[in-house]
Amino acid sequence: MSREIIYFLTWRDVKVRYKQTVIGAAWAILQPVLTMIVFSLFFGRLAGIPSEGVPYPIFSYCGLLPWTLFAQGLSQASNSLVGGANLITKIYFPRSIIPLSAVLVGLVDFVLAFLVLVAMMGYYRIFPGVNVIWLPGFLLLSLITSLGVGLWLSALNVQYRDVRYTVPFLTQIWMFATPVIYPSSLLHGSWRVLLGLNPMTTVVEGFRWSLLGVGRPPDAMCAVSSLVALALLVSGALYFRRVERTFADVV
Amino acid sequence: MSRVAIRVEGLGKRYRIGAIHKRHDRLSEALMKAATAPIRRLRAVGKPSPADQSIWALKDVSFEVKEGEVLGVIGRNGSGKSTLLKILSRITEPTAGCAEIRGRVGSLLEVGTGFHPDLTGRENVYLNGAILGMNRKEIARKFDEIVAFAEMDRFLDTQVKHYSSGMQVRLAFAVAAHVDPEVLFLDEVLAVGDYAFREKCYARLREVQTNGKTVLLVSHDMASVENLCSHAMWLDGGQVQAWGKPAEVVRRYIPKGANPA
Repeated sequence: MSREIIYFLTWRDVKVRYKQTVIGAAWAILQPVLTMIVFSLFFGRLAGIPSEGVPYPIFSYCGLLPWTLFAQGLSQASNSLVGGANLITKIYFPRSIIPLSAVLVGLVDFVLAFLVLVAMMGYYRIFPGVNVIWLPGFLLLSLITSLGVGLWLSALNVQYRDVRYTVPFLTQIWMFATPVIYPSSLLHGSWRVLLGLNPMTTVVEGFRWSLLGVGRPPDAMCAVSSLVALALLVSGALYFRRVERTFADVV
Repeated sequence: MSRVAIRVEGLGKRYRIGAIHKRHDRLSEALMKAATAPIRRLRAVGKPSPADQSIWALKDVSFEVKEGEVLGVIGRNGSGKSTLLKILSRITEPTAGCAEIRGRVGSLLEVGTGFHPDLTGRENVYLNGAILGMNRKEIARKFDEIVAFAEMDRFLDTQVKHYSSGMQVRLAFAVAAHVDPEVLFLDEVLAVGDYAFREKCYARLREVQTNGKTVLLVSHDMASVENLCSHAMWLDGGQVQAWGKPAEVVRRYIPKGANPA
């Protein structure tokens, strides 16, 4: 029964998102593509940030893909409970479905934007090796991180309405702390371990490694990231369960 | 002897009313409060604590409904009827006591609950059906029946935001009535439909009842309580004032000579 609700809430959000828009699903592609163009001009051309030997546009786009999935899922999830107040106060179903489906909605955009990446790889003649089998793992790590933080923020947002103002700020800072526009190889030694505390570092670098064949294969940093992501998910789920009983009274 | 479908014991729900204008705390304030708590505690020594501003929306409510019974809940606005339904539907938790329900629950607490204004009627039937606990196959199987019941086939592909409230409630009731719940909760939703549709809903409710299903409905329409219900309960100030035969309970709720309208 819960699976059905997850499916239909996700499907609803996807439908609603592209209803009454002129170019519909093209928005899913436009956003990362335009960001990639701006990044390539400013960070690639003007600032001359290195890109591990592949052209900067595909370097940044390959990082932007999982990043957009993560950031969008995070911000949609954190507002999802407050936005779904009329459901929460009128009907019972497991509340965690709401942030979960908010995270899953991003997958539709992700698939569309991924097609552009495939086209770009064809254009630049970059073909993935066997490492590509690890890609779903990195995708999963991104979703887990997104859901973990999303559970925390969505529940906090019900009680503390200033959370929603901090989310755009948080995702912006988080992006600069993640090697989306620069390679982590710019940093050395102990800095790298620190980067591993951010699961999105492993996700972004993992995407590049498995698709473009650049950077290092998953190492200790990957293990640290996975542990952090799991800790976020478990603690988020526990906190959510503790406060979900009061949602209908507070929201 | 039929089994008990709903058992409620000593149910109570307390709301803080002092916090009404400030329900949503600020995270920054909460952090500040936590940080300064030791100082405030030192200062507060010997001073009386501020009065507990709370209200019992429901207090010590106990009753049983057996399978196949229809219970009508009546009472003034703010007497706790909706709070009771919210607790029974598991939307909110009771402060005291407990409620047990046997069987699949369908609840319709407001017109078009879960309807999304930007989706069409057809899409909303599927969405709402899923939220109310049906799976895709079940909805697909009952789809035509639902639409026929609501008499909405012409507007199925129109966005729900263009529907009138009467149209919304027809569709919403049609979905809820076809969930095939063992226990059905209705909160004053029938008041919106027109005469013919209301008659149809009553017929459906009687049918549901004869199939051994249990219904709990909140209503301000005394005639329908007397016609439909096997029992009635009068709530006032969150407490049960009367329980029993509908005609009797209604008579006590509306004293002789008073205009029921």
